[in-house]
Amino acid sequence: MKCKIAAVGDLETITGFGLAGVTHLHLHRERAETLEKIKALLSDPEVGLILLTARVKEELSEELGELLKFKGPLPMVLTIPDKEGYYPPAVDELERLVRRTAGVEVVLG
Amino acid sequence: MTKAVATISPTRMELIRLRRRIELAQKGHDLLEQKMDALMMEFLGLARRIRVKRKEAFGKLLEAHRKLLRCMAWMGTAETIQASLETARELELEVSSRSIMGVRVPMVEEVRARRKPTERGYSLHTGSALLDEAALQFEETLSALCGLAEMEEAVRRIGRELERTRRRVNALEYVLLPRLKSMVAFIAFRLDEMERDNFARLKRIKAMLEGREWRK
Repeated sequence: MKCKIAAVGDLETITGFGLAGVTHLHLHRERAETLEKIKALLSDPEVGLILLTARVKEELSEELGELLKFKGPLPMVLTIPDKEGYYPPAVDELERLVRRTAGVEVVLG
Repeated sequence: MTKAVATISPTRMELIRLRRRIELAQKGHDLLEQKMDALMMEFLGLARRIRVKRKEAFGKLLEAHRKLLRCMAWMGTAETIQASLETARELELEVSSRSIMGVRVPMVEEVRARRKPTERGYSLHTGSALLDEAALQFEETLSALCGLAEMEEAVRRIGRELERTRRRVNALEYVLLPRLKSMVAFIAFRLDEMERDNFARLKRIKAMLEGREWRK
């Protein structure tokens, strides 16, 4: 199955991924707009991978949490650091998941 | 538990049926537990691999941003953004899915992210070598990120399945099996009690009969 890629984030991030050939780009300006865009991307069957900067993810964490919990296997959603390498461990639900299910502390960072 | 016990009829038939149910529940419990072990192994293995992959991919991304910033400083921000808009943005992922212990997990088959500068689509005339470098670095980052996304998604799905399996194992182990066992114990006790009743009754009848005979 062929899929497109999407990137949501700050100007540098989407410029860079635009250069790499990412199809859907969205510049994050305000919450409501970005949230709408992400919803549209999640329900688009053409999109296979959504890249989100950690900052956007953090800002929209309440609404996104529910959305991401109940999505299908595709599109995949990946949180990435932005230009300053901003990727706080607080966002990392994966580590939390590991701790909860495996009962061991695993540092992924 | 007492409520469940109160509603069953203490017959031998019921006892046999319950014993069969316990056997089935036990078998299901063992199977689920094995599934949980297998999932857990997969889960921890993936978690470990993610750690390595993350370091690699995020390192690449940081480098890509550095190159992009350099390019923006050299060419101008507006020009760089313009070039990004002109780029052919048709990159496609080949995605399929595979199944780990019955969990559907997406799998990225291949990413042809690396392109020649001429394939990118921005004008080579206005673009600089720095732009090419930045674009190349972002392309490489992208293929690393695809691999990472696949693993993270897999871990997330396996984790969820693991939790669900654990809940089922616990439900069997701590709710269903004890309840069935207590029901079996109840029926066995009642049957034994009835047996003893009967025995006493027979003894008494026998004594009565013998007494009558003896009196004759």
